[in-house]
Amino acid sequence: MKNKQTSSRRKFLDKGFKLGLATVVGGIGLSKLASKLNAQTDKDSGEKMELMTTDGTIIQVDSSEVVEMDHHTKEDHLNHNVREGIPNRKFIMVIDLAKCKNALKCQVACNKHHYITGDNAWLKVYKMQESQDTAPYWMPTTCMHCDKPACVTVCPVDATFKRKDGLVLIDNERCIGCRFCMAACPYATRVFNWSEPNQGEITLAMDMGEEIHATPGHAGLPSIKGTVDKCDFCPHAIQDGELPHCVTACPNGVFYFGDKYEDTVTNGDETLRLSKLLKDKSGYRLMEGLGTDPSVYYLPPVDRLVNFEDGLEHYTEFQSVEKPE
Amino acid sequence: MKNKLNIRHFFLVLLSVLCITSSFAQKTKKSKVRLKAQYVKVMDGDIYFDIKASSKVKKKNIKVSNIEITIYNEFDDEKVKIGKTVTNMKGESRFVLKNRNAIKADSTNIYTISFSFKGNDTFKKAKKSISFKDASIEAKLITKGSINYITATLIDKSTGNPISDEPLDVQVKRLFRPLKIGEEFNNTDKNGTILVLIEEGIPGVDGNLTFEVVLNDNDDFGTVKAIVKAPVGIPIVDESTFDQRTMWSPRNKTPLFLLIFPNLLIFGIWGLIIYLIVNLFKITKS
Amino acid sequence: MKNYDTLLNDLAPKKFGKLGVIWTCSLLVIIIIGIIAYIDQLIKGQVVTNMRDYALWGIYISNFVFFVATSFVGSVTVAVLRLTNNNWRTPIVRIAEIISLAAIVMAGITIMIDMARPDRLLNLFIHARLQSPITWDVIIIPTSIAISFLLLYFPLLPDLAILKKHFKNESPFLSKWYGILSLNWTGSKVQKAIQTKSIQIIALMTIPIGLILQTIDAWLFSTTYRIGWDSTNMGAYFISGAFVAGVGALVTVIYVIRRVYKLENYITEFHFDKLGKFLVLACLTYLYFNINEYLIPVFTAKKGELIHLDELFTGHYSMLFWVVIIGGLIIPSIVLMFKKFRKPLPMFIIGLAVVVGSWWKRYLIVTPTLLHPFMPIQGVPESWHHYFPSIHEWLITLATLAMALLIITILVRYLPIIPIQRTADKQELLKNDKNTKS
Repeated sequence: MKNKQTSSRRKFLDKGFKLGLATVVGGIGLSKLASKLNAQTDKDSGEKMELMTTDGTIIQVDSSEVVEMDHHTKEDHLNHNVREGIPNRKFIMVIDLAKCKNALKCQVACNKHHYITGDNAWLKVYKMQESQDTAPYWMPTTCMHCDKPACVTVCPVDATFKRKDGLVLIDNERCIGCRFCMAACPYATRVFNWSEPNQGEITLAMDMGEEIHATPGHAGLPSIKGTVDKCDFCPHAIQDGELPHCVTACPNGVFYFGDKYEDTVTNGDETLRLSKLLKDKSGYRLMEGLGTDPSVYYLPPVDRLVNFEDGLEHYTEFQSVEKPE
Repeated sequence: MKNKLNIRHFFLVLLSVLCITSSFAQKTKKSKVRLKAQYVKVMDGDIYFDIKASSKVKKKNIKVSNIEITIYNEFDDEKVKIGKTVTNMKGESRFVLKNRNAIKADSTNIYTISFSFKGNDTFKKAKKSISFKDASIEAKLITKGSINYITATLIDKSTGNPISDEPLDVQVKRLFRPLKIGEEFNNTDKNGTILVLIEEGIPGVDGNLTFEVVLNDNDDFGTVKAIVKAPVGIPIVDESTFDQRTMWSPRNKTPLFLLIFPNLLIFGIWGLIIYLIVNLFKITKS
Repeated sequence: MKNYDTLLNDLAPKKFGKLGVIWTCSLLVIIIIGIIAYIDQLIKGQVVTNMRDYALWGIYISNFVFFVATSFVGSVTVAVLRLTNNNWRTPIVRIAEIISLAAIVMAGITIMIDMARPDRLLNLFIHARLQSPITWDVIIIPTSIAISFLLLYFPLLPDLAILKKHFKNESPFLSKWYGILSLNWTGSKVQKAIQTKSIQIIALMTIPIGLILQTIDAWLFSTTYRIGWDSTNMGAYFISGAFVAGVGALVTVIYVIRRVYKLENYITEFHFDKLGKFLVLACLTYLYFNINEYLIPVFTAKKGELIHLDELFTGHYSMLFWVVIIGGLIIPSIVLMFKKFRKPLPMFIIGLAVVVGSWWKRYLIVTPTLLHPFMPIQGVPESWHHYFPSIHEWLITLATLAMALLIITILVRYLPIIPIQRTADKQELLKNDKNTKS
């Protein structure tokens, strides 16, 4: 009798358990399904905004998904005159061609942090080969921030200027778009905003009424139609003691940056004395014979740590700015 | 029979528990936060903790900004809150101890500091604790003959004894990263001392250099830094042409030749043009 | 007196015939289309052109250079011929002055079209840097406009007074305006003295100013490092080029006006003969500078220069280059050495060839150099490796050319094309001469 009772209790418990389990699993499954269906409406605040993506298509975006950006570069909190520069500094860059394998992380970082969405990047990695018998190599170029800048000499309205700390910057509010500076630059490093630049989040923020004023201290924030842009050596970063974005982004330690007066350059990992580096590795400057006195030194591609051919897979002859799909 | 039933039951329970917990986990979708903390003591200066918060979201490492971290001092079964801080846009925060005596060591002279994050809608709670002993570095500049050296002694404050065979970094403070001088590893000798040669010709503003002797991220003692300022560098010389009249200066520093000669021409020619226009008026009048 | 009346009837401005109206209306249509295209450019930005980061200057600039070059005709014809006592210039001076004024005004307008931010035009004056060649341009162009205007206006005063009387009955409205613009000219000794002195000063000024204008225009290019532009030859090269373009334009315009207004008695075959010789001189001078500019670099052939010259001689631009050099320069020089070709109609055709050649020559100065910079062209779309003007650029450029022709047309319509007073004076002198002789 007892056995029968126990067994039926067990059977009851067993069935109960199974039923319970089934209910729980089924319930969870149903609720997940329901939440997936409602996922959009759950998060929505109900308000939609019409915005333009970087490739020009109009999309509807929920306004709760549009986040306000942090623009910490405002000229008011600078402790130096933006046209005169950071005192007691002379910024220079050293690019080690022996290490570059065209990873293009520098270009991607520069494009991202300056909101470059046009067809011409400011940092270009050239596939160089001087003559048939000499070795090919990858050569990243930035603006050379020349000490005798041809671009500054020809600007009729003082829109581009040379600072005491060596940087050559552009005042996009003054530029009249004559492009004489672009004609004068032998390094072809300047780009022009031929149309209204569509800079993704920045354009979004400005459309929402946020006031973003162009400042020479952070080029590309925003870019202005009909004016010139170029590499600025990231004054917005270096004034806070941080290295320019290309320097930190390079996985191979190709870019060294520093203050010539301190005779020290660093790529984030190695910190070296500039004079010793240039002497030991025979540093040189691009197109020295033109007399522009650039601030970017190159270390020749000898004792290479990488193969030139490895860089060919990333080489895009007709593109330097990644476009969204 | 009994065993079979039990095993079946057991599996069912296990299965249901797994189902429930996994579905709950998925429903909340919270990410794990990784906290990193470094203790830094600057001799004759601040003691601070550098906190970094990061997380792996959608397989990418991101910095966790704007979260509140509470800092506790744990010793002898007590847990005292010593402060709180919020991470910045880069997911970092520096918490400076107002008072060195604000933290207490336990009976073994070890300080234990824990950092905890309560968690929020997007991130799970996290905790990190570090422990260290108090050490100090006494560093100074000495000159033997005409050569300058930096000498430093590393001492365990809790025992008063020097610490030997630990590597100290000796570096010159520079804008982005400090410049190391001396050997790659400057190990303290049996007296806990090192002696490092200062190389010639390091430039500095007015010849002033700031040297740092650093015990870097030591397992027992954290990071200890001693600062020595000495005018043993060569003064920097301003090379910029900013104050000169050049072809690339702004308009207020135009080369004199361009300022004088073209303006003379312009005024001469326009003077004549105005004279001619005046002549037109003269013709009208006569 | 009878002779004088005939003179007046021949030379006084006449109303437009049907042809004139059609001509003016077509010009207006072209201009309006161009303005619409320009407004589109202002709204969308210069992306509507085919200029991009490498071909950063295009036909707006080469068109600008063409206008500046053509405006040299004033200095050359009026001043040079006057100071060398070439008295045959009388019937053609006014046309030359009109072309000069129209060209320099259009040069000023055309350069503003190339500015991507014309709303910031005032920056060129408020923030001007004297170190920049563009600032020198900003100074010299208004100066040239002022001088060209005065060069036209001072000798015009007696004629305006004559026309006031001539139109008193026919068209009182016109008569009134001629009167106002003639500045109460009575031909008195005092007025004549002021006028003569003023014209002497202007004639002297216009030569150095013309030369400076052409040189500064050349320095826009030779103050850069670029191959093909960085040439010490540039200043003189541009001056001689302007000489050619100016005289070519003069010949072409004179022929048309002579035909339309039936001025065969005043602008005779003798004038064409002289102008023909003048044009040969211009072309030979320009040819000399072209040889210096293009042939000599082949000797040392630095890599970049060799690429540049190859592009012009045998490469992408070779067809255009040889058509322009042979058709626009060499053939005119040779052909005009024969008297048979220094007749009105042949000279019109040759003049036209010279002008069109001049326009395309300046395209060859601006574009090829920009498309082979020192650094290789990489990382930009394939289309950026080439340049051919877009529809917007053509429409706007054609509009500027139409506007120049419109200015000339209007001035020719309302001003006596041949100086009446001066011609009368000359004929008086001739008559007196004959009388005394006989």
